[in-house]
Amino acid sequence: MYKTKKLCAPLSTIFRGVLPTTRRLSPYFSNSRIPSLSSHLQSSSRVPPRYALHFLPNSNFSFQNLCSQSAAKLDSSTKRCWNCVADKTGTTPFLYCDSCRSIQPVDLSIDYFQIFGLEKKYEIEVDGLEGKYKDWQKKLHPDLVHSKSEKERGYAAEQSARVIDAYRTLSKPLSRAIYILRLEGVDVDEEQTVSDPELLTEIMEIREAVEEAPDSQALNQIQSKMEEKLEESSNSFVNAYQSRNFDEAVACIQRMTYYQRASEEILKKL
Amino acid sequence: MAEPEYTVESKCETTEEEKSSSASSEVVIGIDIGTSQCSVAVWNGSEVELLKNTRNQPLIRFDVPVDNDIPLGEVNYHLSHKHERLSGASILNMKRLIGRVDTDRVVHASNNFPFLVQTLDMGARPFIAALVNNVWKSTTPEELLALYLAELRIMAESKLKRPIKDVVLCIPVSFSRIQLTRIERACSIAGLHVLRLMPEPAAVALQYAQQQQHMLRDNTGRVSKRIALVFNMGAGYCDVAVADIDGGVTEIKALSGSEIGGEDLLENMMRHLLPSFDKLDIKSMGSLRVAIQEAIHELSLEESVQIDVDLGNGSRLCKEVKREEFEEVNKFIFCESEILIVECMQNAHVNVEDLTDVIVVGGCSCIPKIRNLVENLCEREIYKGMNPLTAAVYGTALEGALTSGIDDPLGDVDLLTSQVTTLGIGIRANRFEFVPVIPRNTTMPVHKEMIFTTFKDNQTEALIVVYEGESEMEDENHLLGYFKITGIPPALEGVPEINVGMDINASNELSVLARVIIPGSRQPVVPVMELKMPTVDDGHSCCNEVLDRAYGPTLDSMIVRRKNDSI
Repeated sequence: MYKTKKLCAPLSTIFRGVLPTTRRLSPYFSNSRIPSLSSHLQSSSRVPPRYALHFLPNSNFSFQNLCSQSAAKLDSSTKRCWNCVADKTGTTPFLYCDSCRSIQPVDLSIDYFQIFGLEKKYEIEVDGLEGKYKDWQKKLHPDLVHSKSEKERGYAAEQSARVIDAYRTLSKPLSRAIYILRLEGVDVDEEQTVSDPELLTEIMEIREAVEEAPDSQALNQIQSKMEEKLEESSNSFVNAYQSRNFDEAVACIQRMTYYQRASEEILKKL
Repeated sequence: MAEPEYTVESKCETTEEEKSSSASSEVVIGIDIGTSQCSVAVWNGSEVELLKNTRNQPLIRFDVPVDNDIPLGEVNYHLSHKHERLSGASILNMKRLIGRVDTDRVVHASNNFPFLVQTLDMGARPFIAALVNNVWKSTTPEELLALYLAELRIMAESKLKRPIKDVVLCIPVSFSRIQLTRIERACSIAGLHVLRLMPEPAAVALQYAQQQQHMLRDNTGRVSKRIALVFNMGAGYCDVAVADIDGGVTEIKALSGSEIGGEDLLENMMRHLLPSFDKLDIKSMGSLRVAIQEAIHELSLEESVQIDVDLGNGSRLCKEVKREEFEEVNKFIFCESEILIVECMQNAHVNVEDLTDVIVVGGCSCIPKIRNLVENLCEREIYKGMNPLTAAVYGTALEGALTSGIDDPLGDVDLLTSQVTTLGIGIRANRFEFVPVIPRNTTMPVHKEMIFTTFKDNQTEALIVVYEGESEMEDENHLLGYFKITGIPPALEGVPEINVGMDINASNELSVLARVIIPGSRQPVVPVMELKMPTVDDGHSCCNEVLDRAYGPTLDSMIVRRKNDSI
């Protein structure tokens, strides 16, 4: 059991071994410390992931939002502007009051899809996001409220950061998939060890292929294969999500995570 | 119903009061401190105006002559001959030295300067001194920068006939937060309040955005989306940015930068032509510098150039240098610049076909090899219509106007910039690893959190050491600060959760928060710690060692699986 566990190290670890990052300007790739490090970690019963690449936004801004959260909760049924007490009008989510142009406190009941006026589903038109994102920034960016009260400047910082997060999350298939599952109450651990033997074999094969790739053309081929695979798992995610088979959906996400990383690493190597 | 009405009135009153107070606020100037020259600009309500010194120069040489005990800035002062500047009494290239410790590669490369830079290789501040009447007078880059900035402020005040307080400066992408605090401190000694420190290529992108807005409004009235790559190489630093300009929003997609520049080209040439140049005395070193600098400038126009310089004591350097020779000697620098461009495009997820324009600015922008390599990499011609030497200061003046609530009745500047972090910020965990909490190229403002745990059973304290940088090993990054969390309830290793939150606001101020949670309870067990960073000052690399010696791994923390609580 222990042995398999070691074999099923987090994907990133496996891949890192294959493809050291090629950032030449901060040159560092030393193997000298890593073995002692990992043996040290593995002596404990828990094997924490060594690289939790945190590209996924964290929706929990508990520190900053404590006050605005509670403020929002009090008002969440009525949705009134804190400044001019005008009731919310129209269908746009209430981040900004159109009558007095003041920025509203963060309301966590508005999810990322609502911010962009989208239906809560996985397949969305990614092209439309950017325009809406910039429209929000032109209303919410902290630079624009320089002359307003400290309270509103705080709201601007929170709202603007949340809209940035929402944009980043929804524009990428993988993070969007994880987010939509989270809305269903399903947490996905991207760093979870791979236990699917089929995927494990595949990882090994790709790893070999990348190592033995004679030229950039071969790498390009593997890379486009990764993109295809990503697309495939993305499609199976749609099916799993629609039939509310969340176990399968999580498995799809795991595969997507792997293919995306592999593709990114190959791109770096190219 | 009476009560809400009352609230409305009072709220409106405060907002209006604050508004009017800011409307009458002072003008914000933009300053570009270069390695070799500086410039100042201001938004005058309809356009950006460059401020000139009394000798009518918009680009002001950045040397500070140290005369007797009082150093003078050289904003208006004119030294009769440039050899005099290099006689040992003037300190130059302060921008390369500011906020660096004596183990830094850039400080080590300073041995060709015509003044004293003494390094003891122990991670402390280097000893810098100017030769005055045959005595080495010590000084610091911050002190000299402050003096110089004070003179720039006085110059701007006399031109604009009003007091100046607020300033926007542009800085190289590769500057650490430690260096930023030094710049801020120099500004505050000079009586200036820093509104924003913006990366140089981002400032250039802002000028580009304004130009595009102007041009397109004149034609069709519709501003279409553009993606620009900015390559900025000056004397001390080389930076690249990819910016996306759409609907008045300039979004910086990615930044990359390094400490390479014209100074390195110069040093390589000096070493190439006279391998023993570091044995020269100060005066001859100065003459050699001037001669080779001029030769490099000429090589941008000519295929070959004749160097003839008197090195004192009857020795002379007399040689013909070809352009290919110059390119060969510096091929490593050119290669590094290519890597920066490729890296930046990759991080921005942009391909060559996506680029609308490619902008090349900075003092090195006229070097044919630089222009060629950018044109070849980006597969298009370089954008015309921007002065390569004033583009950055122009952008800072615009940003100054934008962040202070612009006086723009004609709607000429319907712009907004969104900036990204230049380096990753994270903490030490899993022994010697650097774990980024906020990766680089993250759009600001941003809040991120990550959960860590204890390293051993019944660990009641944990040391949170915050670093900035890109290396995977903590000691290769810049130490920003550290603090200890105490009062963790005794439990098995891996049970208590230490939630580390990082927050960067739109002004790029970083605060780090930590709270301890025992699973099952939502409330922090001990009061949350919140610190503004950086907290460390000088000698951060020796600080690193001392920390390690004193605590070793006993207070370490480890990464745990990220948990997603509520939505």
